[in-house]
Amino acid sequence: MALLQIAEPGQSAKPHQRKLAVGIDLGTTHSLVASVRSGQAETLPNSLGEHLLPSVVRYLADDAPQVGTKAQAHLVNDAANTVMSVKRLMGRGIEDVKRFGENMPYLFEACDQGMPFISTVSGLKSPVQVSADILRALVQRAQSSLGGELVGAVITVPAYFDDAQRQATKDAAQLAGIQVLRLLNEPTAAAVAYGLEHNQQDQGTVAVFDLGGGTFDISILRMEQGVFEVLATGGDSALGGDDFDQALAEWMRQERQIPSQLDLAQQRFLLRLARTAKELLSEVETAQLCFEGWPGEQVYAELVLTREQMNALLNPIVDKAIRATKRALRDAKVALGDVSRVVMVGGSTRSLLVQERVSDLFGQPLLNDIDPDRVVALGAARQADVLAGNQSGDELLLLDVLPLSLGLETMGGLVERVIDRNTPIPVARAQEFTTYQDGQTAMAIHVLQGERELVQDCRSLSRFELRGIPAMAAGAAKVRVTFQVDADGLLEVSARELTSGVAASVQVKPSFGLSDVQIADMIKASWSNVEDDRSARSLREQQVEADRLVEAVAIALAEDGERLLTSKELQTIEEQMAQLVLVRNGQDHHAIAKQIEIMAKASDTYAAMRMDDSIKRALAGKAVDQL
Amino acid sequence: MNITQDYFSCYGLPCSFIVDVVALRKLHHSLQHQHHPDRFVSAPDSKQRRAVQITTYLNQAYATLSEPLKRGIYLLQLEGMDPLAPTNTQMPMDFLLQQIELRESLDDIHSAQDPESKIDSMSALLTHQASQLESEFAQAYQASDLSVAETAVRKLQFIVKLQQQLDALEGVLLD
Repeated sequence: MALLQIAEPGQSAKPHQRKLAVGIDLGTTHSLVASVRSGQAETLPNSLGEHLLPSVVRYLADDAPQVGTKAQAHLVNDAANTVMSVKRLMGRGIEDVKRFGENMPYLFEACDQGMPFISTVSGLKSPVQVSADILRALVQRAQSSLGGELVGAVITVPAYFDDAQRQATKDAAQLAGIQVLRLLNEPTAAAVAYGLEHNQQDQGTVAVFDLGGGTFDISILRMEQGVFEVLATGGDSALGGDDFDQALAEWMRQERQIPSQLDLAQQRFLLRLARTAKELLSEVETAQLCFEGWPGEQVYAELVLTREQMNALLNPIVDKAIRATKRALRDAKVALGDVSRVVMVGGSTRSLLVQERVSDLFGQPLLNDIDPDRVVALGAARQADVLAGNQSGDELLLLDVLPLSLGLETMGGLVERVIDRNTPIPVARAQEFTTYQDGQTAMAIHVLQGERELVQDCRSLSRFELRGIPAMAAGAAKVRVTFQVDADGLLEVSARELTSGVAASVQVKPSFGLSDVQIADMIKASWSNVEDDRSARSLREQQVEADRLVEAVAIALAEDGERLLTSKELQTIEEQMAQLVLVRNGQDHHAIAKQIEIMAKASDTYAAMRMDDSIKRALAGKAVDQL
Repeated sequence: MNITQDYFSCYGLPCSFIVDVVALRKLHHSLQHQHHPDRFVSAPDSKQRRAVQITTYLNQAYATLSEPLKRGIYLLQLEGMDPLAPTNTQMPMDFLLQQIELRESLDDIHSAQDPESKIDSMSALLTHQASQLESEFAQAYQASDLSVAETAVRKLQFIVKLQQQLDALEGVLLD
């Protein structure tokens, strides 16, 4: 019988020969799974016909966790065991979580690596485990609706996700037993969903404008000969539709002269009313807002909000997104007029105001006919189909970039950039560093990610130590540190001392990082803080210089200060040294530079004396021909 | 794919400063199509690692050849020279004076009445100077006058640095 099953090459006759692969959009509020069936990408529903799986997991004392709508129902009555918005915790440290997790009703506990765990009735759960439970539910759904085992999945992540967050996402997939075909940036996935590579007219530069509830992502891509190339990514991880609701709620509060101290129920009431108004005004020009059921003391009358008024309130927020868009275009070296397509993603792009502003900016109609909630999962499914090898011939190739610069800590808390953001991946770069002190035999390597110049302003990815460097004079050892970023945007660092061959290598397994606000500030602040950074850098440089001088002179004085100097000379040098230590601890780099000069002058004669002395001693008792 | 060969050879191009950047991009894309890790997701680990190595090399090659400054430096490095050596600091006096002037006008943009037009005119000036230095380099390299080529590329480095600072300033001012 088998002989009769003949198929054309490349066209499989048996549907089960097609490898089952899915695209997963692991979202903050909800998640989706999609797959390509009969050439069409589609999101997969559960048995009740629901496509969106709320990203909520409830842990039970002696039963398997509940995921999705079932868990969501217990957000209020079992808040401590019902975890939502876990995506915000991925790749974060306990300190960050304590800071921005204040509004979260969970009990956090630190583990040895500084990673936060949520204490539930079923034990401690890390954000990675919670995400894995969501992924498991999606995979089960896919396997039962596709009728077979999956070969793998493409999982999407926000373009601004740093190494720690990407690694955590991949770890979650591994925990759920999923073969990750690729981590794909959400905006890229959305662009792929539109199938722009099939149409000659769509070749060119594409902007993907992704405005979600709490984050904004902008990517500039170039589509050419079946290659989708990311030119630049940018955005603001603390900007989204939630800000619209906040602005409208604040307006209502002021209009009705409600005191600013609101309890939780009052806040929720206003935000719900704001959301209703926002949705209503996308259809009608005027909305009447009813304060019936207001959980406060007074009874408030109705309030009228026009679309025009609303737009005036929301425009400053949209301005921020427009500014970030222009910045990304500059990074990509693309002019506004060169953009041939604009793809809209994320629930908040349903806003008419956002659509108008973006369309005006680019001077063209927008691509928004695919459901903005599903477009990312659909694109991921198409890419999963390609990666699983189900398409033959000239398939689509995606070339992505590193979203945030990578660097190393150098003396004085400065960051030495090793790879700039928006560099195409995979990429490897090596940088050489040297020892700072005579006889130094170990070197700590501190890997950072971010756009700022000081270590404290960037995200710390990992620390490791290179030991066994042969003792040499300061500056003689050469340590080469190599960064390798793979196609998922994940980093591996290795270091080697070149003269001895001593090696150290780490897979970057991050343990702590930045708060939400810090992440958002990273790129943004690198622009507004150029001046600050520059003087901060000068300050650190001068401080390092001052420390070096003080240390060198202190060592010399201890050796032969009293032997070579008169007590007056010794006193002068010591006074200038004390003065240098004093200004060094201040904030004025000019003052430090000046004092370094004075100090250097004061010790000049002494340095010359030491030189003479050491020559004299070297020559002592030797005949001329012995030299 | 031999990842120890020089960057020109991997694209089948002659060693030259003159490169058609659009054609180079097409060559780069077709090699990426063949070697990208996406083509090897179900292959054994060793093949996946190899794909990462090859595309890392290709990305480096493309980045080097697609930018005139990096391309010039690379051509001289192939000749065994090191135009970026820290000991290599001597520059003609008139060029240095001109650099100081340019740097001062860059600083003045901050407080200028109409910074945008100042940025535009300075950008045009830098682009002009860069393209002059590029043709200077191309001619010298062609004529195997490597020390003239080296001076041109080192001057170009100054100009590119200024362009980057101007870009950064534009970002700050327009935001």
